[in-house]
Amino acid sequence: MAEEKLLLLKNIRQQGYGGDYASYKKTGGGAAFKKALTGMTPAEVIETVKESGLRGRGGAGFPCGVKWSFMPKDLPGPDQKPHYLVCNADEAEPGTLKDHVLMLGDPHMFIEGMMIGCYAMRSTHGYIYIRGESPHAIRRVQAAIDELYKAKLLGKNILGSGVQLDLTVHPGAGAYICGEETAMLDSLEGKRGLPRSKPPFPAQSGFNACPTTVNNVETLANIPFILTEGPKAFAAFGSENNTGTQAVSISGHVEKPGVYEMDMGHNLKSILEDFAGGVRGGKKLKALIPGGASAPVMRADEIDVPYDFDSLMKAGTMRGSAAIMVFDEDTDMVEVANRTIRFFNHESCGQCTPCREGTFWIKNMIRQFGDDAGDEALLSLVHRAAGNIIGTTICAFGDAVGGALQGFVQKFPEDFRNHFQS
Amino acid sequence: MRLGTVRFSEAVLKEVEALFARYPVKVNALLPLLHMAQRENGGWLQPGWDSYIAELCGTTLNHVRGVITFYNMYRTSAPGKYHIMVCTCLPCGLCGGAEVMEHLEKRLGIHAGETTGDGMFSLEEVQCLAACDQAPLMVVNEDMQKRITLEQIDRWVEDTRAKKA
Ligand SMILES: Cc1cc2nc3c(=O)[nH]c(=O)nc-3n(C[C@H](O)[C@H](O)[C@H](O)COP(=O)(O)O)c2cc1C
Ligand code: SF4
Ligand code: FES
Repeated sequence: MAEEKLLLLKNIRQQGYGGDYASYKKTGGGAAFKKALTGMTPAEVIETVKESGLRGRGGAGFPCGVKWSFMPKDLPGPDQKPHYLVCNADEAEPGTLKDHVLMLGDPHMFIEGMMIGCYAMRSTHGYIYIRGESPHAIRRVQAAIDELYKAKLLGKNILGSGVQLDLTVHPGAGAYICGEETAMLDSLEGKRGLPRSKPPFPAQSGFNACPTTVNNVETLANIPFILTEGPKAFAAFGSENNTGTQAVSISGHVEKPGVYEMDMGHNLKSILEDFAGGVRGGKKLKALIPGGASAPVMRADEIDVPYDFDSLMKAGTMRGSAAIMVFDEDTDMVEVANRTIRFFNHESCGQCTPCREGTFWIKNMIRQFGDDAGDEALLSLVHRAAGNIIGTTICAFGDAVGGALQGFVQKFPEDFRNHFQS
Repeated sequence: MRLGTVRFSEAVLKEVEALFARYPVKVNALLPLLHMAQRENGGWLQPGWDSYIAELCGTTLNHVRGVITFYNMYRTSAPGKYHIMVCTCLPCGLCGGAEVMEHLEKRLGIHAGETTGDGMFSLEEVQCLAACDQAPLMVVNEDMQKRITLEQIDRWVEDTRAKKA
């Protein structure tokens, strides 16, 4: 197996690491928050995160420091609105499991990142939105927060600085769309999770119409390192414009599925072969989806590329949440398309006509191929219907469905032709 | 409808107060509140709880019903004593999840979304649970059984049925 670069999983990879606050502290944990609170202004923290080049690990890859700088700079006073930082721990993109590994194995790391973020954005209350289907993760993170209250690192007048900070775990209730940040805010407000039209962006009007930033678990887990070791040390990992390491989830037909940490820009083929042990049972690779169900599929001959945001975009797909799903030579891509569209149809929030209707009708069309009742006209109709969802919807879910489905048709038309009626 | 006949115990009401204190407005706590109501009532939202919850957090019955029906986890009928979730999403579905689902449907004599006549088992097909490296998997109540085989499923169903008899 290739050597991991350990920044996020450095504690988790230690045998016997408990993940409680005492263990975390022994590894130097907590120093970054203390440094920020006692030695840096909020503006300095944001500048440091900007310099590191850290890009959001939730899917879109937006620069984290830049996003933080969109929050109003003034201190929320009596007549101003409170600020919020919401941690996106919904992790529902098919194939993605790295946030769960981080939350369960070393919850204090991302929580410390979140506390630093709250300080930088002058938020006195942060919410961690964890999907309801993961009661074990909810309990684990809640226990970590309880420890911090006990240690007086949360609550009023933390470390004598006068700063107040509360953190609350908020359980979701089973809806993939609540991973989309504005749907998440509606859900946090006690509503159905419907994505909002932007603008206004959450930094102007987010949770309860107050300035809000949403960050992914892994994004926040990088923050303590950036503060203690400095932005340059962070940028020494990865490649230009794609700095740091990444926690990559690999699943499907591989020998060793799981989560591995490596440089941003590590070769995709090497991730499959050197980390995940290659295709299971000595079989040949047929295809892989490089960034969760929302990312267009790649053929086996296309995967010799650096694995990062920019390179995969150039390759016509996306890194997304860094979830690589691997399919061996025996896989029927019609079945992969079928599972994909069933997922999207089940999870569409139904607000936009192209997404609501499109996912329904495409699901039925793909089912016809499953029943060996397809033909050339139906195949091009799938492609056209998928294209009609792209760019016509409120949230990026629509683009994801359209791109993913078009990908199957473009890359594997022969699989669909095998299901034409004879 | 039995409006006004259900309520949380005093002990749970204390929990509710603590929950409200963590949100700027009460209605923000609607999702955790509904989870609490399910937890206290055999895993589902029995008649009357929607309007009671609406009253508790100061919103309308329609709002609460809209929320209950939007999310997958809120139930308006009783689950089995053993509620089984099987992930058939991508990639689990292609790594044995579909077979596990099919096998359970045959073995229990019910379809996904149904409960056995004796109220013992209910079966639910779910989307990705962020444990794809453990495929195929089934979750029984809160217990995730990883890399499960069809033989293990048979044994579990038999053992569970025997426990009841
Ligand atoms: C349909 C949809 C689902 C999403 N699901 C998730 C998710 O489960 N977890 C996540 O962190 N981001 C998810 N995102 C991305 C979020 O909207 C948001 O960009 C992200 O949480 C921002 O955090 P970051 O800047 O730290 O990456 C999703 C986006 C879309 C459009
Ligand atoms: S694109 Fe789909 S999921 Fe997104 S808001 Fe529109 S209907 Fe909802
Ligand atoms: S696809 Fe089943 S847990 Fe992810």
